Amino acid sequence: MRPTLGPLTWLYFRVGNTTFGGGDPTMAALQRELVEQKRWLTREDFALAYSLARITPGTNIIAFCAASAVRILGVWGAIAAVLAETAPSAVLAVLLTLGFESWAKNPVMMAAIAGTVAAVTGMMWASVWLLVRPYLSDAQSLLRVVLLGGGAFLAAWKFGVTPVPVIAIAAAIGFFWRDSE
Amino acid sequence: MSPVVVYLLLLKATLTSFSGLGSLALIHTDFVEQRHVLTDHQLNTAVVAGRTGPGPNGVYVVSVGYLVAGVPGAIAGFAAVVTPAFLVLPLMYWAGKRADSPRVKSAIRAVVIASAGLLLSVSMPLARDAITGTFALVLVLASALVLAFTKTDSAWVMLGAALIGLAAKLFS
Repeated sequence: MRPTLGPLTWLYFRVGNTTFGGGDPTMAALQRELVEQKRWLTREDFALAYSLARITPGTNIIAFCAASAVRILGVWGAIAAVLAETAPSAVLAVLLTLGFESWAKNPVMMAAIAGTVAAVTGMMWASVWLLVRPYLSDAQSLLRVVLLGGGAFLAAWKFGVTPVPVIAIAAAIGFFWRDSE
Repeated sequence: MSPVVVYLLLLKATLTSFSGLGSLALIHTDFVEQRHVLTDHQLNTAVVAGRTGPGPNGVYVVSVGYLVAGVPGAIAGFAAVVTPAFLVLPLMYWAGKRADSPRVKSAIRAVVIASAGLLLSVSMPLARDAITGTFALVLVLASALVLAFTKTDSAWVMLGAALIGLAAKLFS
């Protein structure tokens, strides 16, 4: 079901401006909301937006907002999503720059931030599970998840390979090794 | 410094990078080393502020714009951050028309799985920072379980974790 511009803008505003830790946690939160909860985007559309955002210059998460929202509600959706996701946090970044010195020395404030960082980590792990869960239906699918997911993890984490070649190799493997779905 | 020049310099940096902080080196060269309109300390503060607040790390560019040219500079910085994102739109239209073939669908599903692996890898440095003891580990695992197996809104989990962190600090 396609939303109207208001709910779409509100979702990007809410997720984009309440998720700490940069683009990847925001993308994880958007995956959860757009794919799992609202079902405005299919997993395939999510993957397409994710992949193309990675190869777009600039900040990946902003390109992801444009790419995912254009799939849901066209160009106006993309513009609304980008502005809703970025403008408030940009204003906040300027304010934080001005007041950062005093704020960073406040242990109570830093304790609250530490709590959100823990939750962000948990949210990213939950998103990993939500992304692979549909592909665990049989032995061949499980093997695909282990090889592709585990391979991508090791390539990036252990060997420092950047996301673009990892995605390109995964796409090539998926193209030639058809899954059972 | 003219906001137009600020926009063009920051756009050069954002257009030639592929992540939020990827533009940092070029911004350092242009604003700190060559034009001397920004100090290292100011640039560091902008980066830390960008990482501390919610949203993309790349919004530090807006702070850079503000520091070198005030509010017009911040607007120029904002424009430089969002402009490259719209390059993805023609790519989405082009790729979307080719997404119905079974092989392309299989490739996209492979990318979904790989993206899960990539997401796990980028969570590791964050996990190292977040898990400072048993209490933090419990908070991480509880957040993961709640978000994976219930429909609880992630904003509530964030708020709850912030309050728990705050309470732990106040009562310790």
